[in-house]
Amino acid sequence: MTNAVIKTMEVCRYFGEGETLVKAVEQVSITIEPGEFTAIIGPSGSGKSTLLHLVGGLDNPTSGVVELSGTNIANMSGAQISDFRRDHIGFVFQAYNLIPVLSAEENIEYIMLLQGIAGPARRQRVQEMLELVGLNDLGSRRPNQLSGGQQQRVAVARAMASHPDIILADEPTANLDSKTGIALLDVMKDLNETHNMTFVFSTHDEKIMSRASRLIHMEDGAVVHDERR
Amino acid sequence: MLLLKLAFRNILRQRRRTILTVLSMTGGYVLCCLSFSLTDGSYKNVIRIFTMDHTGHIQIHRDDYLQRPKVFKGIDDTPEQRQQIHSQPGVQSIAPRVFTPALAYAGTRNTPVQIVGVDPALEKTTSRLFDKVTQGQYFDATLNADGYYSAMLGIGVAESLRINIGDELILISQGADGSIANDIYIVTAIVGTRNSWDRNKVYLPLSVAQEFLSFYGKVHQYSLLLEDENAVGRITQSLATALPTLTVNPWMQVEATFYNSMEADKRGNRFTLLIIVFIVFIGVLNTVLMSVLERTREFGVLKAIGSRPATIAGLILIETMMLASMSLLVGVVIAAPIIAWFALRGIALPDPIDMGGIEFGFMTGEFSVGVFAWPMLLIMAFAIVVSIPPGIRAARVSPTRAMGSF
Ligand SMILES: Nc1ncnc2c1ncn2[C@@H]1O[C@H](COP(=O)(O)OP(=O)(O)O)[C@@H](O)[C@H]1O
Ligand SMILES: [Mg+2]
Repeated sequence: MTNAVIKTMEVCRYFGEGETLVKAVEQVSITIEPGEFTAIIGPSGSGKSTLLHLVGGLDNPTSGVVELSGTNIANMSGAQISDFRRDHIGFVFQAYNLIPVLSAEENIEYIMLLQGIAGPARRQRVQEMLELVGLNDLGSRRPNQLSGGQQQRVAVARAMASHPDIILADEPTANLDSKTGIALLDVMKDLNETHNMTFVFSTHDEKIMSRASRLIHMEDGAVVHDERR
Repeated sequence: MLLLKLAFRNILRQRRRTILTVLSMTGGYVLCCLSFSLTDGSYKNVIRIFTMDHTGHIQIHRDDYLQRPKVFKGIDDTPEQRQQIHSQPGVQSIAPRVFTPALAYAGTRNTPVQIVGVDPALEKTTSRLFDKVTQGQYFDATLNADGYYSAMLGIGVAESLRINIGDELILISQGADGSIANDIYIVTAIVGTRNSWDRNKVYLPLSVAQEFLSFYGKVHQYSLLLEDENAVGRITQSLATALPTLTVNPWMQVEATFYNSMEADKRGNRFTLLIIVFIVFIGVLNTVLMSVLERTREFGVLKAIGSRPATIAGLILIETMMLASMSLLVGVVIAAPIIAWFALRGIALPDPIDMGGIEFGFMTGEFSVGVFAWPMLLIMAFAIVVSIPPGIRAARVSPTRAMGSF
């Protein structure tokens, strides 16, 4: 028994068949411990997104096992896996994270609404989360009134709000200029250090990956190098 | 609350599209309301004319007199019997009647007629016979100076026999006891028009008809008017229980042909409406589907962060219901004054419609809760149905694909 947040065992994810078979993820066995700040790096098409989707329960492996906080997430029903994601995993995507018709506050509040948290508690936590990511005054703005960096911070705040075991971020800085990207990473790193939040994010930006405490190199779907620093 | 907010803001995103969708549903709704109002209103009118003319709301006979009228099938017409019927809650008036076929003679001419014996005073309270007198005087049961009783004729009888007010009329028939019945009467009134159902009838005062038929103290029929025409079914039931030896029929059975053709016409109308609403909702379905496809990425995010598929489908349902509710709101505002106008003023028909001998020259609308509520239910039901395919579609969005970040 381990208390690993993520444990994959020989997980594979293939797309297509025959001539067009793509081995997007091939025999990946990794373990992510609580409190780690891990970057998955590798060239475009190396399988970073696919791996993040697998460990986030957004996609099902072709073979192998994915365990999240000790639970095998294969064979969960639609509602079960939804609830599992809601309560255990935070997501930050490359872009278009936010619901355009909801304000920053409401975007954060939404996930707690799904969790059934009462109104006053929800609103209090929304303010705490906005403060954590340094957007105290911008809560009432709609996504289109926020810069790209601010939008990504709201996405991080939303991911934090549900008290997940881990936050998965797929190229969270790819659409940002490097300064803004580094600032976002600093916010994430800070949450990792002060709140012991476990992060796994993918990137191919050198400056970004240098902030990670662990680097997982991928090539052609396989992990070729795994270093803790 | 947040989900409602989300749904509401979503439908405000594409205002023009929302307005068009709402208006098309509004159109369907208003059309339904108008059609419901006019068919129900007209038929209510027709039913009123029909029941008031002669059928009454409920008829009481002995045994199967309604299907097989035979002179001897009579009800003992005692004051207690009348009182028992009249005292049933909801019964407004009661008219006793006797019927028999007869031959009518005047001079050298003769014609077959139907004799209807009515109580002059009670008949006034139950049918429109009094109002249908076009010439002469409504009769009573007294002898005139020459010792004759009065008769009122349908216009067809008067024309066949070429007689008029004040002329003599000889009636010959068979009495209830098998004897030959014959007597002379004086015409005091002509009733109805050439289209009336009673153009070949001869009306006699009840006691006179009973004497003619040797049918003392008996009648063939009680015709009843109710205080509330919608209570026919209920009161028929309670009368049937109270009068176990008699047969109680609502007007729908008495005039089954008319009632069935009316119901068929209503069904046809409803079906046409259903088709129109269906077509409206094909458009709505298209719009909702389009709005779902445009938001694939958003649904992907909503699902990724933990919304259940049912929540997403629910969101689409709420959005569609909101659109429908807005349509209904606008629809009621538009339909109410139009229907009120139809109900209060009505529209004159260019050619009066002849319904079973009853002329019907005005079309009035019905203004009631049902006229607004039934189409509302219809629209809501369609809105629910129409939100199912897009709802399923949205609920099934794959979060990875939606993110498009592979
Ligand atoms: N849904 C899919 N269908 C087919 N091929 C896919 C799909 N998702 C990913 N792939 C393929 O899998 C490989 C890995 O993709 P991805 O995980 O997105 O890499 P990365 O995120 O590292 O750029 C690529 O060759 C990609 O084309
Ligand atoms: Mg990727």
